[in-house]
Amino acid sequence: MTTTRIAIASALAAALVLPAATQAQGNMERCYGVAKAGKNDCQTAKSSCAGTSKSDSQTDAWISVPKGVCDKLVGGKTTAG
Amino acid sequence: MPLALRDLQKAFAAHLSGEDQPALVAEILPAAQRLRIHRHHMLDSLGSALAATFPTVQAVVGADFFRRLARAFIGQSLPSQPVLAEYGAGFPAFVAGHHAARDLPYLADVARLDWALNLAFHAPADGRLAAADLAALPADELPSLRLGLAPGTVLVASPYPLDRIWAASQPGAAADPVDLAAGGVRLLVLRRPDDAAFVALSAGEAAFIAGLGEGLSLEEAAGRADTGFDLSACFARLLGLGALAAAQ
Amino acid sequence: MDPVAGIGLRAPHLAEIARERPATGFLEIHAENHLERSEAVEALRVDYAFSVHAVGLSLGSVDGLDEAHLARVAALVKRLEPALVSDHLSWSTFGSRYFNDLLPLPYTEEALAVVVRNVQRLQEALGRQVSIENPSCYLGFAQSTLSEPEFLAELVRQSGCGLLLDVNNIAVTAHNLRLDARDWLDLPGQSITQYHLAGHAVNDADGETILIDDHGSRVSDGVWALFADVVDRFGCRPTLVEWDTDLPALSVLLEEAARAASVGGRRAARAA
Repeated sequence: MTTTRIAIASALAAALVLPAATQAQGNMERCYGVAKAGKNDCQTAKSSCAGTSKSDSQTDAWISVPKGVCDKLVGGKTTAG
Repeated sequence: MPLALRDLQKAFAAHLSGEDQPALVAEILPAAQRLRIHRHHMLDSLGSALAATFPTVQAVVGADFFRRLARAFIGQSLPSQPVLAEYGAGFPAFVAGHHAARDLPYLADVARLDWALNLAFHAPADGRLAAADLAALPADELPSLRLGLAPGTVLVASPYPLDRIWAASQPGAAADPVDLAAGGVRLLVLRRPDDAAFVALSAGEAAFIAGLGEGLSLEEAAGRADTGFDLSACFARLLGLGALAAAQ
Repeated sequence: MDPVAGIGLRAPHLAEIARERPATGFLEIHAENHLERSEAVEALRVDYAFSVHAVGLSLGSVDGLDEAHLARVAALVKRLEPALVSDHLSWSTFGSRYFNDLLPLPYTEEALAVVVRNVQRLQEALGRQVSIENPSCYLGFAQSTLSEPEFLAELVRQSGCGLLLDVNNIAVTAHNLRLDARDWLDLPGQSITQYHLAGHAVNDADGETILIDDHGSRVSDGVWALFADVVDRFGCRPTLVEWDTDLPALSVLLEEAARAASVGGRRAARAA
């Protein structure tokens, strides 16, 4: 084995014999967790029947502007290209 | 002459897809009014499914804007199978190409993070490597091991501070502004026992993991990392996170 | 049969149910929500009987079942060993598009043959009987030659399936199509394996009242009354209270299920 390879082998082996507390670090380090709920249902959406005589608002007119957290996102490059 | 079932379902499907009004007659009302209930339900329920899969995108642009974006996507890309947790693979690319999102150049990366978290959450639990699995192996065999990433483990890199955007999008987050010029991130998305999660990686860690994902050996992947890279700490961290696949 | 009532297991309640293990007759899950990540649900098998309710098999599709999806549902059923497996008298897929709605069928001999074939294929793949639920309808087809109860009775006779009788859906369909809810009391009662109850919304559509099966409130007084008639006619069956929109606290859901069990018990005792 080359010196580099020996160094790599011992670095990897050292990771395997770290104390259990250090190895379990993955469970304690700062993670951002997300849990998902089921999305398949068998009910009918309450709004399904709203405005049945009107157009079904399929227009791609984009009369609305983003009104979310994006107002908090500032600086840097704010347009593509 | 009554419609054959195939023709009826074809006509109904065409209406739901936003195509021509079928020549259907309901017993009580002109069919169009009642058919619209089904079309509204389809659009609403698929929009809700996309909102649940892409909650950060929705938080960033707001519910009204998201609904329009979702409807435009649904209009060109209906689900091809019934499991809604698996619907929306094409949404990040759709967002990237949509004119309405051109002023929000980070939005497609936010969608990629949401999709990766969704995939990780639904990934199988097994097939994860633990340190003990390698304990019996002679140290000189470790460098040539090809480990790969565990199911659901995905690297998401972006020139924008996606982790801060994500945190600012959570319910109850502080109103502090996020500086988009704060620099890019490399996030490792992974499945955990009760949820999916992401952690931030250094450039060296990201290069090492990307190498493992391409099928390189541990030694070859370590060669991808920069000089300050701590192989021992990174390998221990990945094992602790359950990010690596069990050896074949 | 004892008056047993259960609740739908929904993600926001999962942790509380796993921790508190409240008494309830059984838990129902939607098959399509648990095809991959089912270990948290499987961990509850020691304390609860399960009912697997599929929503996406599209048993009325003229082109037959999606075999890949069918195999995944079959694998889940094998893991969970539920007391009951069910899906709806409806269709959701045409060609390669899934519309995520329980779409109505014309009640014709042609449609009956399609549904019988698909239900037989499902029962063969699962190696067990399945129960088919009457849907909520918002429109009917002029070309129908059978009533919905007649169609369901023939489906049972030709496929050997069971019936899942959704009492709220009877009320919704009867109102929306101006039919008589009592027509459903002519169903073959011995084939009924489960009852469903749920709340519905009352919507105004251009001056006309339409009931929407939104599963978003307590069971209505009219549906409780119809449920009493159904139990008088057919006897007790395991009964599920469904609640999906505006999900309430778990305690509210358990209360509704307890009420369903007590209605069932009272009517059955009177009949005895």
